[in-house]
Amino acid sequence: MKVSEKYYDEIFDFKGQWDVPSRCGLKIIRKPGGTFVIVTELYQDNPGTSVTYAGRSLATQICEAKGLELAAITYLECNPDTNSKLSFYDEEYFEVTFRDAPPPAYRLLASEEVKALFDE
Amino acid sequence: MKLKLIYPRWEKLKGQTTFNLPPHGPVAFAATLPGDVEVSFTDENVEAIDFDEACDLVAISMMLSTQARRGWTIASEFRQRGKQVIFGGIATMLHAEETMEHADAVFLGESEGRVDELLKDWKEGTLKKVYNYMMRQPAIEAVGPARRDLYKRELYNHKGVQMVDLFHASRGCRFSCYPCAVSYLGGRIFRPRPMEKVIEELETIDNNRLFVVDNSLAQNKEWEKVLFKEMIPFKKKWISHTIEDDPEILDLAARAGAWYVYQAVYDTSDYIKERVKRYHDHGIGVEGTILLGLDNQTEDDIKRLVDFLLEIDLDLAEFTIMTPFPHTKGYDDLLRQGRIFDFDWNHYNAGQVVFQPKNMSADRLQELYDYAWESFYRDESQESKMFRLFCNVALREMNEGTYRPRNRALANHSFGKEVVRKTLTN
Repeated sequence: MKVSEKYYDEIFDFKGQWDVPSRCGLKIIRKPGGTFVIVTELYQDNPGTSVTYAGRSLATQICEAKGLELAAITYLECNPDTNSKLSFYDEEYFEVTFRDAPPPAYRLLASEEVKALFDE
Repeated sequence: MKLKLIYPRWEKLKGQTTFNLPPHGPVAFAATLPGDVEVSFTDENVEAIDFDEACDLVAISMMLSTQARRGWTIASEFRQRGKQVIFGGIATMLHAEETMEHADAVFLGESEGRVDELLKDWKEGTLKKVYNYMMRQPAIEAVGPARRDLYKRELYNHKGVQMVDLFHASRGCRFSCYPCAVSYLGGRIFRPRPMEKVIEELETIDNNRLFVVDNSLAQNKEWEKVLFKEMIPFKKKWISHTIEDDPEILDLAARAGAWYVYQAVYDTSDYIKERVKRYHDHGIGVEGTILLGLDNQTEDDIKRLVDFLLEIDLDLAEFTIMTPFPHTKGYDDLLRQGRIFDFDWNHYNAGQVVFQPKNMSADRLQELYDYAWESFYRDESQESKMFRLFCNVALREMNEGTYRPRNRALANHSFGKEVVRKTLTN
């Protein structure tokens, strides 16, 4: 279940739950419409907490590392296509809205939205 | 000092044959305690807890999510009596934040070489809320024989037949399966125990039947071959999870005493059919483990799967409902999709639907789960099929001269309780 490098520009190391060393794929897209931060789950190459479970903590760590304001970005979680025979490893993008109390609100992006996201 | 070690009870699934096996986690933990710690162990599944028993510290070991709430209640009882309570075990790791609200301390991770720090803090009155060793596994060489001397053996006995002993030859798992949290709990690196440690522990187990509880034996072919070769002289019979699908390894496993394996059955392919046949060809029984409610299953798929199981002559089948345990991909996916509707951990028993399935209603999946159990065991009950497997192993043991007759003194007892035997009368 190796995740293709096309999903990220860099590997981001973060502190997962209980400070467990964790990793995710990271892509930041700056467009006139705003800044989109996309975190990608790396499965076998992530030794620690999943991007979904890390949630707000991961978003905060990325913002601190990259000089971004959490409130000013659109935060997306990516389920990468791993070419698995199992349908639950297909590609999906979710927009995540952090609320006062967990869990966050998630919205699945339509394929047109995903396409628009990566259009130059 | 005296430590009261408790394994909380959980509600067993209705309609299924209940066996209480001696739990492994608590006695593996107890083996990591210093020699001057006196341990009093209570498995609440087979005996009541004496909350007024004299002790200095209470430790609660939890394996299943369905033990968590009961564990918290037990902790409350002891804390009201002025005792401090620590928690450990894999369900503590899965539900750590909530458990912290009910504990004086939670221990996360594997305890070999780490307990002295906790006990020192306790003695000095400086117990920390969390002892966090997540993903910092101790050297596997440090894992010694479990403290099986703590078991009250007569409680793990059904009508004179002693239950299997649990045993592990490795930790960690290189696989990261969709519904499983093992990689979070034990790490993604397969960690085999040194073979001399495995042998040392096997020599201590006064039971000729085992359950090798390693996550999967199919992790490393060469290791598997060595393990089975080393097990042959012990002449024990054992149950395990999956064994490598390799003729040489299956042959070695059979010679090492493989009794039956738990094998996931996820489709109706010829591969599965042949896989089961290959086990049978080597004299190894198969208990199929069948997960219901995955997103790629429709009602028809589930019904077809049940028909298929009957065709391929499985020895036993265990049906479970997809359950989104925390720290699994299943949990992440269903949480993001807003499909988890029940967060009561008592319901996370793999027999109750706690999420909205993709291709049917939650009620319909629950009905299909019942349908699967009923259909598979309609012509021959679960008890009968188990008895057949039991007879197979008893015959093998008789041929090898290792058979131990059942304990007649316990013939009218089942897991510590007296049973009324059904006998024919005129």
